[in-house]
Amino acid sequence: MSAYAVQAEGINISFNGVQVLHNVDFQLKEGEVHSIVGTNGAGKSTLVKILNGVYRRDSGEIRIFGQPVHFNSPDDARKAGIAMVFQDLSLSPTLTVAQNIFLSTHPFRKGIFIDDHKTAQKSAELLAFLGMEEEIDLHKRVEELTTGQKQIVEIAKALANNSKILILDEPTASLSNREVEKLLGVIKVLKGRGISIIFITHSLHDIFRICDRVTVLRDGRVVLVEEVEKLDLKRLVTSMTGTEIDSEKWEKQQDVRTGTPLLELKDVSTSRIRDVSLKVFPGEIVGIAGLRGSGRSELLQAIYGLDRLVRGEIYLDNQPVRISSPTQAIEQGIALVPENRREQGLVLDFSVEENMIMPIFQRLTSGLRVSAARSRSIAEKFIDLLDIKTRGPEQVVRYLSGGNQQKVVVAKCLASQARILLLDDPTFGIDVQAKQEIMRIMQDFAAQGNGVILVSSQLEELVDVCASIYIMKQGTITNLVTGEVSKDELLYMIQ
Amino acid sequence: MKKLDWKGIRWGEYVVYYIFLGIFLLFSVVLYDKGFLSINNLMNIIRQSAIMAIMGVGMTFVLSAAEIDLSFGSIVALAAIVTAMVLRSTDSILLSVLGGLAVGVFFGFINGLFVAKVGIPSFLITLGMSSIILGIARWVSGLQSIPIINDRFTFLFGSGNIGSVPVLLLWVAAVMLVGHFVLTKTPFGRQVLATGGNRLTALYSGINVNRIKLAVMTLNGALAALAGILYSGRLHGARYTLGENDVMIVIAGTIIGGTSMFGGKGYVIGSVIGAIIMAMLSNGLILFGLSVDQQMISRGAIIIIAVALTMRKQRNS
Repeated sequence: MSAYAVQAEGINISFNGVQVLHNVDFQLKEGEVHSIVGTNGAGKSTLVKILNGVYRRDSGEIRIFGQPVHFNSPDDARKAGIAMVFQDLSLSPTLTVAQNIFLSTHPFRKGIFIDDHKTAQKSAELLAFLGMEEEIDLHKRVEELTTGQKQIVEIAKALANNSKILILDEPTASLSNREVEKLLGVIKVLKGRGISIIFITHSLHDIFRICDRVTVLRDGRVVLVEEVEKLDLKRLVTSMTGTEIDSEKWEKQQDVRTGTPLLELKDVSTSRIRDVSLKVFPGEIVGIAGLRGSGRSELLQAIYGLDRLVRGEIYLDNQPVRISSPTQAIEQGIALVPENRREQGLVLDFSVEENMIMPIFQRLTSGLRVSAARSRSIAEKFIDLLDIKTRGPEQVVRYLSGGNQQKVVVAKCLASQARILLLDDPTFGIDVQAKQEIMRIMQDFAAQGNGVILVSSQLEELVDVCASIYIMKQGTITNLVTGEVSKDELLYMIQ
Repeated sequence: MKKLDWKGIRWGEYVVYYIFLGIFLLFSVVLYDKGFLSINNLMNIIRQSAIMAIMGVGMTFVLSAAEIDLSFGSIVALAAIVTAMVLRSTDSILLSVLGGLAVGVFFGFINGLFVAKVGIPSFLITLGMSSIILGIARWVSGLQSIPIINDRFTFLFGSGNIGSVPVLLLWVAAVMLVGHFVLTKTPFGRQVLATGGNRLTALYSGINVNRIKLAVMTLNGALAALAGILYSGRLHGARYTLGENDVMIVIAGTIIGGTSMFGGKGYVIGSVIGAIIMAMLSNGLILFGLSVDQQMISRGAIIIIAVALTMRKQRNS
């Protein structure tokens, strides 16, 4: 019997010729809680997807409890005892807790029927195993549970499949403080019962509370493996971010925070954010730093008229404005590059041109019809200006790369002649070059006297291009950072 | 692969022409002896398809916006009945037509309100409304046919010929051309397609998606009413049974015409051809000498097969 639940050695994988993991070694001891951390794009999710059978490695060895394995699917991994507990939960909302726990296997039967009594009994045992029998009512429907309770049911479901190794991907991201406590409690119980856990999180404080060891990934390489006892937050953050590599130096617009703000929020509250005040001056790129779930996306949605203001006011050029729909936001010269480009930014089966002019059909009319000539010339102009790699304006966007799709979304915003551009994590999931190009476009846009609010998970982006960065936590702005700041400091501040 | 995608994405637009040609050729050969190709029979098919084609244009807008309307068959009946009743009591063509159209606009608008403001799925609300509207049609008509004896009215709406061209065809041509123009060229049409293509993206792009949904449902009600008015003119009277079999046929014709069930893609001209295909099928089945029962069974089966094939083609592209 090996003392290791997982041993991965020399793992390499590349996508489209880009190497994402370089000779990665990773060991998970039995009964250990081990965190994998790294900034976005460091390769943590790729690594766990290899362990979980979603991706197949190009080279390297993986042993589970000492046995070499080659997974072709998550199902293979599950049979070997590895289960991933997903962030976006995989429970069936209208079924009860007990039904969900044994949903995939239905092991208890009476003839051809499911033995509900036995299923409930076994579910109760599992919840008791987790110490949650008081907390969760077996007969409640899952939709009636809180997010934290669902997460625990999800864990119970994994255990019902006899999983010995659990992968938790950002389990605390959308939980309230109280629920985080509960979940961490469950993780301790699991550990005490010999379950091995891989814990992925952006919330670094949690690591110091429950993890035994940490593996830090940066740019697809392991840069640190250390016992948590021997670590402090500062060293962890430094090893995550490393030293500056191949990052372009941007001119930051300094001293613009005077005069009339282009956009100002005064004590703005919606159902999801509260008392947010901020200013954007002409020529400025303002950063919003916050963890996912901190209200950063909700803030942009409030400005864009998607969420109703319950309190507070929005001013453009010192004039109060009411923006109660995206239509009005666009009329006022505000445009949003949404968080999820495939679901919110694009109609994937429409052409590049059709996507770009979507907000401005009305403005392109000559007589009754949308002018084909003007529409085409706008599409060609932005394809050229943003250097979009497409076969032409009629190319369907589904087949463009992520970076080029994102450029189409940005083009759409620019085509609406916005003065204020709201960007919600615009470089998520796109390659380095496209990232640089999007940063460049943003800079040029601001340099023309326009305003930008940039929300980003990539703190180095904020540090590089924003002279002012608002820190957001739990639905409100806690701090404004102006002047030089390092991304380590920033990472520390948003915790 | 990429090249295929590039070309293939419009495949749905063309598949209807192949189906049309295939069936036409088949019937021309098999039913030649029964006079399928005679001018008389062909004109008959055209006339039969005309009113369906008008309903198909409305359905194209509805499906393009990723909604559906199952109540338009009942609207056809009620609009025809109201038109005939107003004509009988006032003898005013204008008032009768306005009355009929008002029925369609009103119920289409109600459908739209429930879809857009209350958020009830359109198939549910229109299924319920269908029953309500048909109930009203049966009630106000007392289950009786209401005859129309105004020659001017019947000439204008469905029965007349100018030279050898049926007036009905002019209606279809007008509705088709305007529909095609509106869907493909105007901001409204493009917003309908965007809403059906991805509701969230449309919303984020500043399109008032609720207003679009309200508009397509209302438009469909209006076109169903026009279809009802044309039926009453063509048949010289109105009855609550008008339109009762058209719902399935019109939706099928529209889908075969290349409009996506899931929104974002709509071809008005394809829907008109789809309607002709449907009429051709009915006509062929009659010429084959099938009984009404046999026709119903065959028609249902053919529609399922044709729609399944069309949807598979669309998905593959």
